Amino acid sequence: MEVETSSSSTASLVDKAVVPGDIVLDLTSMSDQTIRLGAGLRQYSDVLSVVKAGKLKFKKPNKYWVESSQKRYAPSVEDTVLGIVVDARADNFLVDIKGPTLAFLPVLAFEGGTRRNIPKFEIGTLLYVRVVKANSCMNPELSCTDASGKAAEFGSLKEGYMFDTSTGLARMLLSSPTCPILEALGRKLSYEIAVGLNGRVWVNASSPSTVILVSNAIMRSEFLSDVQQKILVEKLMQRVQG
Amino acid sequence: MEQRLANTWHMTINEKKFIESALSKNIRVDGRSPVDYRQLTIKFGREDGSSEVQLGETHVIGLVSGQIVQPYRDRPNEGTLAIFTEFSPMADPAFEPGRPGEFAIELGRLIDRGLRESRAVDMESLCIVAGKSVWAIRVDLHILDNGGNLIDTANIAALAALLTYRKPECTLGGENGQDVVVHDPEVREPLPLIIHHMPVAVTFAFFNEGDAMVIDPTHKEEAIMGGRMTATLNSNGDVCAVQKAGGDGVSLSVITHCLRLAALKAVDITSKIKNAVDSYNTARALRKVKRHNALVAPDITVPDSVMKGNQIGQLAEHQAQKFKEESTKTFDTETVVGIPKETVLFNKKNINFIRKDSDSFIGGPSNWDPYSQSIPPTFVRSSQIFPGSSTVDHKKEARTMLIESNSEETKSNNASSGLSRTSSMSQQRTTPKSLKDAVKPKSERKNRPSPASAAN
Repeated sequence: MEVETSSSSTASLVDKAVVPGDIVLDLTSMSDQTIRLGAGLRQYSDVLSVVKAGKLKFKKPNKYWVESSQKRYAPSVEDTVLGIVVDARADNFLVDIKGPTLAFLPVLAFEGGTRRNIPKFEIGTLLYVRVVKANSCMNPELSCTDASGKAAEFGSLKEGYMFDTSTGLARMLLSSPTCPILEALGRKLSYEIAVGLNGRVWVNASSPSTVILVSNAIMRSEFLSDVQQKILVEKLMQRVQG
Repeated sequence: MEQRLANTWHMTINEKKFIESALSKNIRVDGRSPVDYRQLTIKFGREDGSSEVQLGETHVIGLVSGQIVQPYRDRPNEGTLAIFTEFSPMADPAFEPGRPGEFAIELGRLIDRGLRESRAVDMESLCIVAGKSVWAIRVDLHILDNGGNLIDTANIAALAALLTYRKPECTLGGENGQDVVVHDPEVREPLPLIIHHMPVAVTFAFFNEGDAMVIDPTHKEEAIMGGRMTATLNSNGDVCAVQKAGGDGVSLSVITHCLRLAALKAVDITSKIKNAVDSYNTARALRKVKRHNALVAPDITVPDSVMKGNQIGQLAEHQAQKFKEESTKTFDTETVVGIPKETVLFNKKNINFIRKDSDSFIGGPSNWDPYSQSIPPTFVRSSQIFPGSSTVDHKKEARTMLIESNSEETKSNNASSGLSRTSSMSQQRTTPKSLKDAVKPKSERKNRPSPASAAN
């Protein structure tokens, strides 16, 4: 089978859509270089090939990875996600983070957490948590503190409304500089938002109509370009105020 | 146990409280008003009786099939109708394969009651031989995606499928005249079912102990609703079925208000279903017509030098007379006599000649119609001798000849019947014919000038 090597045109594949089997780099031409591989790439002897369909990304000096968007979430360490409490056990809470299995949140994984002040989470509480351990064979482990042990906005989210999105949209909402849709909405409305990398978004505002406006605008903006997102917000504002 | 918890869908307290508080202000989460339906899309499959309905995110497929069975003893001259539902696990994590759950049975019963007890489907027309053979119609509803309000969506799918289903035509035959002969759809056009009216289901969800009511609830709204009611009505306003299985109690005024709303919605949905079915039927009819593609009426423009003189005109009279004698019985009058007597304009569109363009017609015997028996084969062969350019002229001449002969022979009744039939001709012609075939060959024409000239 003929394999078309794109080693001479590596730069052209960056920021383009790639499918499993595409060859990103031919390593025979390089030596004494360290290349860092992210998600979706694998090294097969001399060649770096794609194993997951998505967009190839490159960050200087030597980081390559593939960004893809799914409805399901694959837990990975240091991700901040939104979880729903499903059950409370003696040692930990069982939390659903849209992964293949439920995740465990130890009852002590809070700032200043001791056996005496275990928080009481009802079933159905929405939590903003951080993934501490994630292996494919075990249930992932979560924490409501940052690496240094401080609370740092983790914990339960009160009121507001939550909806599901794809992982790609969640990443777009978290990108910096701020995503155009959030910026445009923020200029006209005041709201607060928490985005989980597992494809869950929580929105809160003073009036329900604002919340509904913001959530519907975000859901529709996934495949729009920057300019289109701004136009979408303008039209929504006109319809509401006009 | 943990795996089952991982696979179920969970709702947060935040969502529940938010949806309820928004509803108390008459706002819905997807921006609809409380009495709006989501977008309805009705599509059909290739076979008759298969429909695919999408109401927002909810997706249902309906399939209708028929079988000949023995009727029930107490109803020997009625057919049967049965509704089957299949809740695919891909529609919702709560659906499990195997035995249908409580809601699946309720949905099937509800749709069945709406169709059967309102006598929407005519059962007596499904009878073939009383007491022996009747049609058993089976409606299968497959739930592909549960986005809320499965009842309404499945009902529309069942209606759309029943309206487009065609059952094969059967006649009685055999030695004793009691055997049922089912005709192949290619041989005899299958027949649609007789549907008297369309019972449309409209579902209402109640929240906040009966304070708030919405039509067409989504999946999240269904998860937090206090109670549900479904009213099945037709566009005349007749109530076919009402179902309220448990849940919060509601007052009588709310129920009458809901029934009034349901009547309005039923009219709207009925018109949408009718439009979809009509466009499907026209597409289907077009597909059938395309098979006989030689039926397209050409735009005939008259060439300037058509008439070649008296000689041919007189000759043609004789041609036409002889032509008519030979082909009185087996002749299809539509083709040749469909010429308006009152005018000699040839570019009228209602002259349905069966050739797309004259050059394509060779005049071979395979293009012949049954009446070819009455015409000697010399006709056909000599027509092939003619050069292509002259074929059009001959056709025109033949037409003028026939018009003259028409007026002489008082075949006015033929012409009028031909006229009425030309309008329906495009639907049923089988073989292409042309007037060129009616024209006698050159050899015979040379023998006849004297009597014609003598007559004039």
